[in-house]
Amino acid sequence: MSRLRQVGLPWRPDKADSAGRFAVRTGSGAQVLRQGSITLAILITCCTAWAPDAAAQDDVLVGHIELSGGAGIFGGAALGTRDADLRTTTANQPFRLFTASSRMAMGPLFDARLGVALSPRYAVEAHLGYGRPELRTELSSDAEGAPSITAVESVDQYVIDGGLVLHLGRLGSGVRPFVTAGAGYLRQLHEGQVVVEDGTVFYAGGGLKYGLISRSQGLVKIVGLRGDARLNVLSGGIHVDDRVRRHAAVSGGVFVVF
Amino acid sequence: MTAHARRFVAGLIALMIVTQASAAYAYLHLSISTSTGTKLLTWRGGQVRWFATNRGVSGVAPSQFQTEVERAFATWQNVPTASVSFQFVGFTSALPSQEDGVTVLGFEAEPDLERVLGATSFVVDLTTGDIVESDVFFNTIFSWSVATAGEAARFDLQSVAVHEIGHLIGLGHSALGETEIRPTGGRRVLASSAVMFPISMGAGSIADRTLQPDDIAGVSALYPDGGFDENTGAIEGRVRRSNRGVLGAHVAAFNLKDGTLIGGFALGDAGEFQIKGLAPGAYVIRVEPLDDGDIDSFFEPGDIDINFQAVFYDRLAVAPAGGASDSFDVTVRPK
Repeated sequence: MSRLRQVGLPWRPDKADSAGRFAVRTGSGAQVLRQGSITLAILITCCTAWAPDAAAQDDVLVGHIELSGGAGIFGGAALGTRDADLRTTTANQPFRLFTASSRMAMGPLFDARLGVALSPRYAVEAHLGYGRPELRTELSSDAEGAPSITAVESVDQYVIDGGLVLHLGRLGSGVRPFVTAGAGYLRQLHEGQVVVEDGTVFYAGGGLKYGLISRSQGLVKIVGLRGDARLNVLSGGIHVDDRVRRHAAVSGGVFVVF
Repeated sequence: MTAHARRFVAGLIALMIVTQASAAYAYLHLSISTSTGTKLLTWRGGQVRWFATNRGVSGVAPSQFQTEVERAFATWQNVPTASVSFQFVGFTSALPSQEDGVTVLGFEAEPDLERVLGATSFVVDLTTGDIVESDVFFNTIFSWSVATAGEAARFDLQSVAVHEIGHLIGLGHSALGETEIRPTGGRRVLASSAVMFPISMGAGSIADRTLQPDDIAGVSALYPDGGFDENTGAIEGRVRRSNRGVLGAHVAAFNLKDGTLIGGFALGDAGEFQIKGLAPGAYVIRVEPLDDGDIDSFFEPGDIDINFQAVFYDRLAVAPAGGASDSFDVTVRPK
């Protein structure tokens, strides 16, 4: 049995056996760990095995399914300003009762992805994102002096999209960058979840994958970290005017290749 | 006329060029109090048969009067989410002021009502709230126009007819508008977002030939059709001040997406309000007191509270299709 290369994982080589083999692939080849320690290994690896020379790296596994999940921030965007106008006898000169400027505020984002590599460079990926941003409307310039305030409601937001992922090779540190683009469905529910507004989302972005653990046998082939940054272009959904909205989003999490 | 019916002699609902004391049973919908509760005034079956007087005025022949008033009726009849229909029966020599069991619209001289362009009166079955007869007069002390584009210094007959027919079918006045006091007395309209605003847009204006969202919501709530109940929603709540209801507070719902304004009033002892006919979505809620000079255009004299500041509700209210929002309280402060 070959010697385990210590990559920050707290297992001793003499614990490895033939009943369950867990490979940590390094530049010098696969090593063996006990399978029963997978969960603990992932957690501890995330915390301690961050050094580039210690990170196990893998090529893209064509045809394998990749699941990922994480959390992040969905950026805010202005929805537009609209005056509450009353008619007057003068054309195109309405009487402004007050002004309402709306914005979808930045909020937490949770997402999950399911992808399949079509080739070492290309993959397709489906994505489900959930967030709960606030729709914030600043009310001002009231004709009768009502104090300016910001009226708020909570929005449940779902994004279901799919697109193409292009892997860009591997950086020297073992980090695998990628770019991605696609389109999908936007579903936003007003507070109380009784009114739904649908729309479309187009996105482009990229990210980094960092393989931590891989093995040649068993259900789980690769475990790693993933970071994403996207620019989402939303149309429809909750909106004030017909403009499209650009929301940046960043997220980070874990990916698993089966 | 049934034994239970009587004319609301003091209940003229008038369109004025400036406000003037005139008792009115008006808010968004006209209603009467009966021994069995409050009844909305409506036409049974939503069908109205009407006569036109055979009297013209300078610039308006009887046939022209009939044509313009028919157009005004058609404006209400063509609301897709309401079901109310009108049938012209013929000309009559009867005056609108006569209580004769038939609905008559026509010119009539009312020199004592020097600020009133037109007014609507009713004969109502006090048991059911059904309108038995409703007459509309157009005051001949003013100059009238039937010109397509309107005429300066003349009041557009069709515009005023649209307003009065709104009363005829059971709508009260809307408070979606702003006025200012004139140096010569009375008030002048600065702006409005409802044909049913109690003060005319002025001579030469034809703006009130076209219904506004507030008017459409009002007639649709009275005579719902075309999916109105299923496709629109309501926002309801209470206007409160020092832990008590604010009677007569004007509440406006502003649609963030399309910019429409639809209004209502806090009417109950607890300050309850309900605004129906809203497209599903998020709304800004704004509460204001009625202008002190306008109160009698909306309510009978009473405990109407106007001593508070205009305020926005600090949450966006959501109107669901076919239902109502969760009730909420808007708290106002004294001026």
